[in-house]
Amino acid sequence: MPFTNLLVAVDASEASNRALETALELAQLIGASVMALAVEGPLPAYAATVGEVEEVKREKDEFFGRLAQDVRARAERRGMSIEVEIRPGHAAELIPRVAKERGADLIVLGHRGHFLRDHLLGSTADRVAEHAECPVMIVK
Amino acid sequence: MSNLALATILLGAALAASMISVELGISVALIELGLGVVIGNVFDVTTPDWLVFLAGFAGIVLTFLAGAEVDVQQLKREWRSSAAIGAVSFSAPFLVATAFAYWGLGWTREAAEICGIALSTTSLAVVYAVLVETGLNRTVIGKRIMAATFVTDLGTVTALSILFVTPNVWFIPFVVVSIALILGLPRIAPAFFRRFGDRVIEPEIKLAFAGLLLLMWLGAKADSHAVLPAFVLGLALSSHYASHRSEQERLRVVAFAFLTPLFFLRGGIGVSLPALWANVGVLSVLFVAKVIPKLVAVYPLARRYCAPHAAFTTLLMSTGLTFGTISSLYGLNAGIIDETQFSLLVAVVVLSAIVPTVIAQRFFQPDAAEEARRDTAELGRPAFEGEEG
Repeated sequence: MPFTNLLVAVDASEASNRALETALELAQLIGASVMALAVEGPLPAYAATVGEVEEVKREKDEFFGRLAQDVRARAERRGMSIEVEIRPGHAAELIPRVAKERGADLIVLGHRGHFLRDHLLGSTADRVAEHAECPVMIVK
Repeated sequence: MSNLALATILLGAALAASMISVELGISVALIELGLGVVIGNVFDVTTPDWLVFLAGFAGIVLTFLAGAEVDVQQLKREWRSSAAIGAVSFSAPFLVATAFAYWGLGWTREAAEICGIALSTTSLAVVYAVLVETGLNRTVIGKRIMAATFVTDLGTVTALSILFVTPNVWFIPFVVVSIALILGLPRIAPAFFRRFGDRVIEPEIKLAFAGLLLLMWLGAKADSHAVLPAFVLGLALSSHYASHRSEQERLRVVAFAFLTPLFFLRGGIGVSLPALWANVGVLSVLFVAKVIPKLVAVYPLARRYCAPHAAFTTLLMSTGLTFGTISSLYGLNAGIIDETQFSLLVAVVVLSAIVPTVIAQRFFQPDAAEEARRDTAELGRPAFEGEEG
């Protein structure tokens, strides 16, 4: 079955950059559309000061703003356009859900993110592969 | 343990807490409290005077910052509903927890009042994080919850300042200077900051710290506590800080880099794990004494003012952390409560930061987009278009 609608998960890690490049290359080869999903992780849980929350929120906004720019620039270098969606939540839950919502027929993601909690809680890639209703490509 | 050894361990723990916080996405304060518990229970630590002083000052700075973070416009907009929710959110757990500690646990009257105050709080920061994360901070219900939280906190700091006053000759200067600072500083701030601001020597931070230390000194002389004037002073300067974000940021940097870690580590050091273990039953009942009155008292008002998200609102109003810790530490430092009582109160406060938040987020979290649509339908326009906070 040819893939027509790819969803790639991005988080600026090396593995995610490789996944993005792979998704773009594949989409170009088979003429599929591709969208990028960046999952904004939670703010500091049980914060003691509003300042701590505001600072992390601002850092996140800046980080994801730069990430979206970088993703679009990588697509443009290949003469492609890409939609970038940033959503708050937990990656392992959100990626399969958004893939379903958006009718994606292939999820592409890197094999490891860049936060320690990703490793402590088990691989996001493994959990996405378990919960997704469409094929999942894990890029090493 | 020598002062230098303790300071090294504390700052090392503060560094570790920052790194763990970034990696795990958990508040640095909670991790500092936890590491403080480890330090206090593993090492033979006798809390030195300098740590008691710095932690006390940090508590006042935290209170000032909490006041400065209030959105006054938002508070004015939501005054009627937030005053009602905030007032019962403070008074119900205060009365129940105080009565339970006094009659049920046999604590002294003053210790029971500390218990009531510590368990009456609602955590502005915990609430704010949940609302920002979900985007609800830009909806009417989110603004209403934030304003109600402020009212609860005002009740807490007022009780902490008033209940333990033993009026003496210093009380009048304390009140006069408090009023003078609250009325005067916002007026001189613009000119002062224009003339002396934006320098690495930070005269504006020194002005704020000098004012807070003056309040602490006079408060101590008057046998009172400076939390109320510090909170109101922060509130009085909140509009100024709202239009001068960089000043507020620099103040936060100084506070978060050095002062607040010592406050939360000191709080953790005072917690005795054996005492907690020996009083697990009391701990559970105190937790219930905080949460149940909040649920019972706030829910009817939340149904009226925050429908259809009364359960979510009520659970968020049941959270607590910073003011609960400040109140408990005041009680410990003033000799009003002992180590076991302090350990129990801090443990309940930490539990109340976690348990209601998890339940609210897991089972009752409103859809922010749906709320925004509801606001737009009711008001004929987005409620808080383009607003971040």
